[in-house]
Amino acid sequence: MLDRRILRLAAPLALGALALTACGGSSGGGGSSSSKKTYTIAYQGPLSGDSAQLGINMDNGVKLAIDAANSKGDLPFTLKFVDSDDVGDPAQAPAAARKLIDNTNVVAVVGPAFSGATAASEPLFSQANLVSVSPSATRADLTGLGFTSFVRVVTGDTIQGAKLADYVAKALKSKSAYVVDDKSAYGAGLTKYVKEQLTKDGVTFKSEGLAPTKDYSALATKVVGSKADTLVYGGYFPEMALLAKALKAAGYKGSIVSDDGAKDDQLIKQAGATADGIYLTCACGGPPAAGGVGADQFNADYKSKFKSDPGTYSAEAFDSANLIIAAMKAGATDRAAITEAVKKTSDFPGVTHKITFDSRGEGGTGEIFMHQVKGGKITLLGLIDDLIK
Amino acid sequence: MCFTQSFWQLTISGLALGSVYALIALGYTLVYGVLQLINFAHSEVFMLGGFGGLFLIRGLGISNPSGFTSVALVIGGMLAGAVFGGVTAFVLERVAYRPLRRRGAPKLAFLISAIGASYFLLNLAGKEFGRFNNPMPSLYTSGEVFSVFGAQVTTNNLVIGSAAVVMLIALDRIIAKTRLGMGIRSVAQDAEAASLMGVDINKVITRTFIIGGLLAGVAGFLFGIQFGVQYNMGFSAGTKAFTAAVLGGIGNVRGAVLGGLVLGVAENLGVACVSSAWRDVIAFMILVLVLMVRPTGLLGERLGRSA
Repeated sequence: MLDRRILRLAAPLALGALALTACGGSSGGGGSSSSKKTYTIAYQGPLSGDSAQLGINMDNGVKLAIDAANSKGDLPFTLKFVDSDDVGDPAQAPAAARKLIDNTNVVAVVGPAFSGATAASEPLFSQANLVSVSPSATRADLTGLGFTSFVRVVTGDTIQGAKLADYVAKALKSKSAYVVDDKSAYGAGLTKYVKEQLTKDGVTFKSEGLAPTKDYSALATKVVGSKADTLVYGGYFPEMALLAKALKAAGYKGSIVSDDGAKDDQLIKQAGATADGIYLTCACGGPPAAGGVGADQFNADYKSKFKSDPGTYSAEAFDSANLIIAAMKAGATDRAAITEAVKKTSDFPGVTHKITFDSRGEGGTGEIFMHQVKGGKITLLGLIDDLIK
Repeated sequence: MCFTQSFWQLTISGLALGSVYALIALGYTLVYGVLQLINFAHSEVFMLGGFGGLFLIRGLGISNPSGFTSVALVIGGMLAGAVFGGVTAFVLERVAYRPLRRRGAPKLAFLISAIGASYFLLNLAGKEFGRFNNPMPSLYTSGEVFSVFGAQVTTNNLVIGSAAVVMLIALDRIIAKTRLGMGIRSVAQDAEAASLMGVDINKVITRTFIIGGLLAGVAGFLFGIQFGVQYNMGFSAGTKAFTAAVLGGIGNVRGAVLGGLVLGVAENLGVACVSSAWRDVIAFMILVLVLMVRPTGLLGERLGRSA
């Protein structure tokens, strides 16, 4: 009896083992048959979950860069792409980072996209000496925490927060504001600087953090009751959409100002007509003439490949991937060498701006633009410094 | 004081949200009364009901409806939501619970099956329907209809509130007056004795699930009108509704309703008085305090012994 039972178990196990070896064999064979070495550039960001659209926009940018570099044909190696989904959640980010670190083919990472996820992943990346070029993690202190693997091409939130507040104070001429954040690393970080600057600019405000939920009617009632003329929201678009709807239902008549985390067409899809008039800051989205090279070509290529316009930070992700490729072209092909070369990047002609990283890893221009939702589309109003003169 | 300013406004919106919680809580309480099982997958019944209503409204594709068309659309959406909810609940009962009942499995197995079904349905919906929030196409122009003590009552509040009231009264009558209701109460009181008395246990259990599913499905659609439909909307609404059911007395139908309304209002007042971030903390603190003073919940008695 026991022998029969063992046989019954052994047969499927043996079949399974055979199948696995077949799998392993084919992929190994494919890799060694090409004459060029292959390296993988990875992307980490939210690819599922509420804010997935923000992550997907950047994922596409990286894919576009890698495909373009491969098809141009002047690389001494082939590039592959792999992405890792951290759902934008600092709790899931370490696992997503691990997945990339453990993949020995990965030589550099674009991302992580969200600030909270970045703070959670960087200790691991720094330990592995795997460089992560973030197109969008704007939380101010990320470059001050001693991460040797972190650089970003986008301006940090000390500046975005201050400019947002300046706009509220000087362009919207607000007398009393209500500042709300989603208590995330990004939202809370940004509103800290907004509040600091609002105080300096002499605007009184009330503030509170919210726990992301669906029903914001109580908060909307509070905001209306406080007679604030401007609501500033630091956070991502799913909550902004619901909050905008709740404010409209509660009879709020003032302005709504939010940030780059809310700047996505999904905001308009989810908030409908109530999205009209929302102001959105971003270090991105300025006119192509602002130092960028090849922006029109990028826009056209993105549109033809992904059948939609580039999203927030797609161009920054594209630039991040390209500057990694440039460092690799110059001879760096292992993680440590690439990390060093990337951090020394200077005057790299990206489509968004000429990128140079300073000693802390900051590569942004310091320029913040203001956008506004008009007639169901996000339109650029201009550079905030120009608008508040 | 923090809430004297907008007390009525907060109460009105709290009651609207609370009635959605109440509808969902009824599903939890009925199934618990009859099976002593916490049906964790009930939150996904709510979510799928919401999607059912959404698909119908999207499919009909009527833009800017008003007047009679609006009423028809709302009722149609509620029916679609109810159907989707009922079918999901029926399938759940057959697939996730009945096989365990037939084998006399321990209670833990039911619990694990419930949680597993919940995760499965949630992720399946996320994969099939996308993970974004899907706002409901507008069914009517929402605005203030009238005001009570200075608080405005909007069309949304009225639709959700009145639909919920109608369903709750209907359920109460079913439980109290019909044979099915008597069957449910008898199985809740003592399943063995009920079967000895000639009650078909399996039929009663199936119908209990279906009733709970119908209510949750409608709740999903009503919730979706105001907040949109999303694959994970069941999780937090379901947790709150379960809390409401326990708050009112698990197994007690009227308790579930009372619990839902109390929770909805308490959450809103809590947000106003403290801060939005404390919303869930306050809701659960109320639950803990009530249970400490009255462990069987506000209305206490079990389904078998209540009206």
